[in-house]
Amino acid sequence: MDPLLYVFDVVVYVGIFGMLALSLNLEFGFTGLANFGKVAFFLIGAYTYGLLSQIGIPFYVCLIAGASISAAFGFLISLPALRLRADYLAIVVLTFGEILRLIVKNEDWIAGGDWGISVSRAISLAGASPRVNALVNIGLVYLCLGICFFVLQLLANSPYGRTMRAIREDEIAAEALGKDRAKYKAQVFMLGSAVAGVAGGLYAQYLQCVLPGMFMPMVTFTVWMMVLLGGPANNKGVLLGAVLVEIFDRGANIAKDYLTLPVDPANLQYILFGVLIILVLFYRPQGLLKESPVTTKALELVRNDRSAVKSNGKQ
Amino acid sequence: MEETLLKIREVRKRFGGVYAVNGVNLDVKKGGICGLVGPNGSGKTTLFNTILGLHKPDQGTIHFNNNCINNLAPHQIYKLGLGNAFQIPRLFFQMSVLDNMLVAVRGHQGDKLANSLFLREKWQEQEKGMVEEALSILELVELDKLAFSPAGELSGGQRKLLEVARGLMAGSSLLLLDEPAAGINPVLGKSIFQKLRDLSRNGTTFFVVEHRLEILFEFASWIYVMDKGKTVAQGEPQQIVKEPAFYEAYLGEG
Repeated sequence: MDPLLYVFDVVVYVGIFGMLALSLNLEFGFTGLANFGKVAFFLIGAYTYGLLSQIGIPFYVCLIAGASISAAFGFLISLPALRLRADYLAIVVLTFGEILRLIVKNEDWIAGGDWGISVSRAISLAGASPRVNALVNIGLVYLCLGICFFVLQLLANSPYGRTMRAIREDEIAAEALGKDRAKYKAQVFMLGSAVAGVAGGLYAQYLQCVLPGMFMPMVTFTVWMMVLLGGPANNKGVLLGAVLVEIFDRGANIAKDYLTLPVDPANLQYILFGVLIILVLFYRPQGLLKESPVTTKALELVRNDRSAVKSNGKQ
Repeated sequence: MEETLLKIREVRKRFGGVYAVNGVNLDVKKGGICGLVGPNGSGKTTLFNTILGLHKPDQGTIHFNNNCINNLAPHQIYKLGLGNAFQIPRLFFQMSVLDNMLVAVRGHQGDKLANSLFLREKWQEQEKGMVEEALSILELVELDKLAFSPAGELSGGQRKLLEVARGLMAGSSLLLLDEPAAGINPVLGKSIFQKLRDLSRNGTTFFVVEHRLEILFEFASWIYVMDKGKTVAQGEPQQIVKEPAFYEAYLGEG
């Protein structure tokens, strides 16, 4: 395989999974909602894109539709989220992802069952080389990633972001301080799912197909790994996590061809993943980058004043 | 005639077979500090949590500002102007002291999803005033130097102070304080009550549970005594110390 194309492929994957990591960070990192069914919303986005693009709908409409339908399911999932403790919610959402995957796998009429359906590229240039096509994909994916990152950064550094963190820390106290936690949780799930839906659409058009096998629970755990490693409640951190986990994943994938192991080398990735999660949680529970505090203009003013007073005091 | 801000009639709250609150009747008049005393386990905190909407009363009615608040969610009750500070501080430990204060703000424009993204100029401007208010309250409880430290790094007493300060932040018309002076040094405890009295002259009403009676009786204008889930006596501090029911509740004398 063309080595440059392989690098491009890694870059696209980092972009798509970076979006998933951002969306999980919004839910788990900032709001404390343990969404172990991220892959479900990824799947909804991908299948929506695949089915709509087959009937000739332009790609941006497909992406928006994927985001909207995914957000609608996100709202449904937020309903039990109010009544369940974090660990039970995790089980419910995990199951939801598996149910969706088994439905599209077994119901051939939806999207070809196990065989899936083929999806056309979002932007196809006539006669373009694979490298050019990959570059076009990189442009599209990183444009979407950039928009998501920008919006989520605005959200994190606002009173809304402050409320999300308050709900994560103590939802009863937040409720007693006038925060309608049902509303906030629903909004966060919808927004997070919308981002995952866009990522799913981009994934489908990049791979030019949708298959149930693309949406195994492992996808969810990979995204969790990115968030935990990079640093929950830090958007830059989880993007760093996405880069590192993707490189780690690919590295293990290549390395297994050159190693003799007492176990099936195909499992090497998963073993190393497990070890890495345990190490991170033991030795660096806050992730590589620490949580970024809420930053607003008013807070910055006070902070600057204080450091000015401090430096004057020293003189 | 003074206006009644909080009116509680025949409120009962049962946990399993035990009535924690068993027929409470009381009125909190507008203005001043109203005290609630009683032995441990007499239902004071349960009563507070029921007023706040954290528990639904099994029976009875609770009116705040002539609105029946029995069936409202806690966040709706808060928005009506009823604030509180918990007995055991429930802070947002990974957030800064200042952010803890700012969470309590009522009606922050940027607290809505769309506004936080599209009306940034507007709420950024609004927030400057809130930060000033928060810092002046923090100064009062001697926490202003720690404004940017995480709340989780505060000592036990400082956590309590922040909990009270956060209650003061929102400009509630009625503030329920559950033992604001517990675990705080006597001088500061007293200065908190002095501040409460100053604020009460500006229209805030306080309903306070406190075991440090020497401080409470100095500042409170009316006292209710609770025992075994019921209100057993009420009166001005000077009178209440002469009530047999007060002694019976606290000392168990017949």
